[in-house]
Amino acid sequence: MSSSTQTASRDLAAREPARPRARPSRRPAGGGTGRWAAWAFLLPLLAYLIAFYAYPLYRNLDLSLRDYTVRSFVQGDAPFIGLANYREVVDNPTFLPALTHTVVFTAASLVLQFGIGMALAVFFHQHFRLSATLRALFLVPWLLPLIVSASTWSWMLNSEAGVVNTFLGVLGVDPVNWLTSPDWSLASVIIANVWIGIPFNLVLLYSGLQGIPPQIYEAAALDGTTGWQRFWRLTFPLLRPVSAITLLLGLVYTLKVFDIIWIMTKGGPADSSTTLATWSYQLGFGSLLPQFGPGAAVGNLLIVAALAFGLVYIRVQRRQGGTA
Amino acid sequence: MRRATTWWKTGIGLVLTTLMLFPVYWMVNVSFTRDEDMRKTPPDLFPIDGTLEGYRAVVDQQLPHLGTSLLVGFGTVALTLLVAAPAGYSLAKLRPAGGGLVSFVLLVAQMIPGIIMAMGFYAIYLNLGVLNTLPGLIVADATIAVPFGVLIFQAFMSGIPEEITQAATVDGAGPLRTFWSVILPVSRNAGITVALFAFLWAWSDFVFASTLNGGGGLRPITLGIYAYIGNNNQQWNAIMATAVVASIPAAVLLVVAQRYIAAGVTTGAVKD
Amino acid sequence: MKSFGRRQRTLGVALAALVAAGGAVACSSGDSSGGAAGGTYAIWDPYPQFDDSSAWVKLLTKCGTDAGVTVTRTGYDTTDLTNKALLAAQQNNSPDVLIVDNPVVSTLAEAGVLTTTEETRLDTSAMEPNLLSAGQSGGKTYGVPIGANTLALYYNKAVLAAAGVDPASLTDWAALNAALAKVTAAGKKGITFSAIGTEEGSFQFLPWFWGSGAQLTKLDSPEGVAAVSLWTDWLKKGHAPNSVINNTQTTSWQEFASGDFAFAENGTWQVANAKKLGFEYGIIAIPGKDGGTAPAPTGGEFVTIPVQKQTDRYTASQKLVTCLTSSDNLLATDTTLSYIAPTATVQAKQVAENPELKVWVDAVGAARGRTGDDLGTKYPKVSEQMWKAVQAALSGSKTPQAALAEAQSAAAAATK
Repeated sequence: MSSSTQTASRDLAAREPARPRARPSRRPAGGGTGRWAAWAFLLPLLAYLIAFYAYPLYRNLDLSLRDYTVRSFVQGDAPFIGLANYREVVDNPTFLPALTHTVVFTAASLVLQFGIGMALAVFFHQHFRLSATLRALFLVPWLLPLIVSASTWSWMLNSEAGVVNTFLGVLGVDPVNWLTSPDWSLASVIIANVWIGIPFNLVLLYSGLQGIPPQIYEAAALDGTTGWQRFWRLTFPLLRPVSAITLLLGLVYTLKVFDIIWIMTKGGPADSSTTLATWSYQLGFGSLLPQFGPGAAVGNLLIVAALAFGLVYIRVQRRQGGTA
Repeated sequence: MRRATTWWKTGIGLVLTTLMLFPVYWMVNVSFTRDEDMRKTPPDLFPIDGTLEGYRAVVDQQLPHLGTSLLVGFGTVALTLLVAAPAGYSLAKLRPAGGGLVSFVLLVAQMIPGIIMAMGFYAIYLNLGVLNTLPGLIVADATIAVPFGVLIFQAFMSGIPEEITQAATVDGAGPLRTFWSVILPVSRNAGITVALFAFLWAWSDFVFASTLNGGGGLRPITLGIYAYIGNNNQQWNAIMATAVVASIPAAVLLVVAQRYIAAGVTTGAVKD
Repeated sequence: MKSFGRRQRTLGVALAALVAAGGAVACSSGDSSGGAAGGTYAIWDPYPQFDDSSAWVKLLTKCGTDAGVTVTRTGYDTTDLTNKALLAAQQNNSPDVLIVDNPVVSTLAEAGVLTTTEETRLDTSAMEPNLLSAGQSGGKTYGVPIGANTLALYYNKAVLAAAGVDPASLTDWAALNAALAKVTAAGKKGITFSAIGTEEGSFQFLPWFWGSGAQLTKLDSPEGVAAVSLWTDWLKKGHAPNSVINNTQTTSWQEFASGDFAFAENGTWQVANAKKLGFEYGIIAIPGKDGGTAPAPTGGEFVTIPVQKQTDRYTASQKLVTCLTSSDNLLATDTTLSYIAPTATVQAKQVAENPELKVWVDAVGAARGRTGDDLGTKYPKVSEQMWKAVQAALSGSKTPQAALAEAQSAAAAATK
């Protein structure tokens, strides 16, 4: 065990990091047994997927293709209406703003979370005093139920009694109606979402950094590269697989975010912070009279969007040969 | 050279952590605040005229649920690792035909809204009779972390050089032994990351707990918040106090675990 | 190879965990909370703030004992309860007795989840008709009110006195506006309310909407526009804080509790909390536009009996509901909830015990059911458009006229 780990480090250290290695034959030798083993290792996952995801997935599709009223939801006799729910949703005046907000919310959240997370990961990777403890403390926001963290944010951003406006007042800036002005509400929920997303990015990227053997840096230091060059030429390329999966997962989770927005602004005022995810929730569960069909349709449009990005991810991964 | 620079780094680290944890501090502040001061303009930065009312309510009513939360958290971690690690290995190294499809399904799986998942589980669990049971909640909570875990393991394990596994194969190791004694030790970071998030997700989960365990005596502590969200009124200091009480043991656990992990990673390569 | 022993141990633990999980999945069936035959009856309520040692749960247990059955009670968050009830009904797992917020009754009735009082022989004759109407749809009654609440204006005596405002003079909007101007001129804050983008926002807006003579069937009438303009002007003139757009009723109460505000629009349920305020307060009815008391919406919960496969269960359920809504128990329950009782007899007792409640009994008497006017399940759709319009106008993204016109066309399309 010990020898193999060391081999790994030495091997990683030996190779030129910036240049992806050519790998003509990636399939493991072994043919038949290898394939069997592959499926055997996948078996628990497949069993789990079939047992617990198949039904909800089917259900989500079914909800969107039938004309569900509260009555037919309970009685289970909703008529099949094909894509009518989707047509209704796309024609709805809320659709375009919700789509735009989703794009802005997702792009801004991803860029900021990833950027800040990367910077923090590199920073904390330097092993100074207390670095491990402080890094652990960065995870504390994740221990809080979202209802609490989102409520705390809306508390702090309150127009009248919010502490953020108090600080701004000390700096001589006029109070901002963070949650109650259509110009600011989207920015406010993005801020809160970035805050919640930073620990996720930090942890993933940090463990990615730990996978890079220190010998590489030592070699680079001998070459006289500066810190910035070292980051772009060594760290960033080596972190590419981890970065890619972090971004992809971040994207999926950000597309899905509704609770933060829901608790902070309910998507308002005047739909100014409504995203597809909050709209889906609003339709399906947010009013006294649930509209499951259109709600599920909006949710499925989001799934399609995530799939498109998933395809891009898999293609990029293939082109890079799976490793780098 | 190192010694000299570390102190200002610690300083910056402290400032950054303070900034990051300010909302958490604010939550603590509110948990001590009396009703009449909650919307004071400008707000008090410290709970000067604080009250322990919120905490009194929580300590009396919620502490027993901490144990449930811990059990659910650890159970979820175990189940997630058990399912995700072998699958990640298979997808990253053994690459079965159709593996791409599996990754794809995992992506879709993560996009299903939690509430729809919960509705599905409700129907399944009702028929199996496992509503309001710990294993039921663990299996449900693991659905948040399993797809994540597989994709993370896959991403990290595909970074392991092929030479290592090939060397093992030449030594006569089968896939199982390669997995256990070659792949797993090298993937410790990925394992820790997955375990961490599985725990955090299970700890802070709300949707599954309220749908699947809402009625039972076995409630995770986060659900205790509901005791303070009345029909017309919310008792905010108690809500925040519940969150504080709920996060303290887990936060201690995190800090301790992180120290241990950091030590393990730097020395582990040589010792173990 | 020291790892070998460890590996076996880990494998063993892993297997044990799997078996434990799998075993639990397989064995523990038959623990259903409702539906099953026998002496156990499930009650769901939206009062999660009451734990097992509370008077409310003790009352449930006692009513169960009297009816010869065991009661298992679960308290859910209100917003959660509607979804939970629909889901449980879909899976044939409805509780035997369900206590829900009144505007949900028509939705659940529409879904076929609830029995009628006719079917289960529940006596509703003592209930005040305006309160009962919230549980009626298509000429049928689907439950019994357990208590009612409504909205009025709380005021801070010291703030009004300092500004020279006599609360007795506040009988129409003009007088209220004048009072708000005086209060803000005196350096205090005017009024706080909740205009959040949920049913809560509509609930708070309705007294002003109805008080100007508007009807839910036509949101963009001149009267409706006058009501939205009233609120919008308050924000523009600084008579109300900008935070109201995002305020829940609790937040709004916290603002009032800080002692700076002259008025707060809030509900009967705050009567108990009002005693804890650090200042003297009073209550007046919400004035109509041109005088008189504006009709406020009725709030409060209904006790209902969900449909069961085994209809013989209704007998015991009926006993449970009758027990919960009997005069003595109503008095106790409505006192704990800080509600007004739904029957005249018990209301008289409440006032005798606590004369302060007189103003609330009058307000409840003048209140109106939201799903009345035969709106039924159309109400949620109209209400949603209404709160959106109010938010759009208050945040300045649309004029009151434009916001309501758009809301009306959207509501018309949704309720077609």
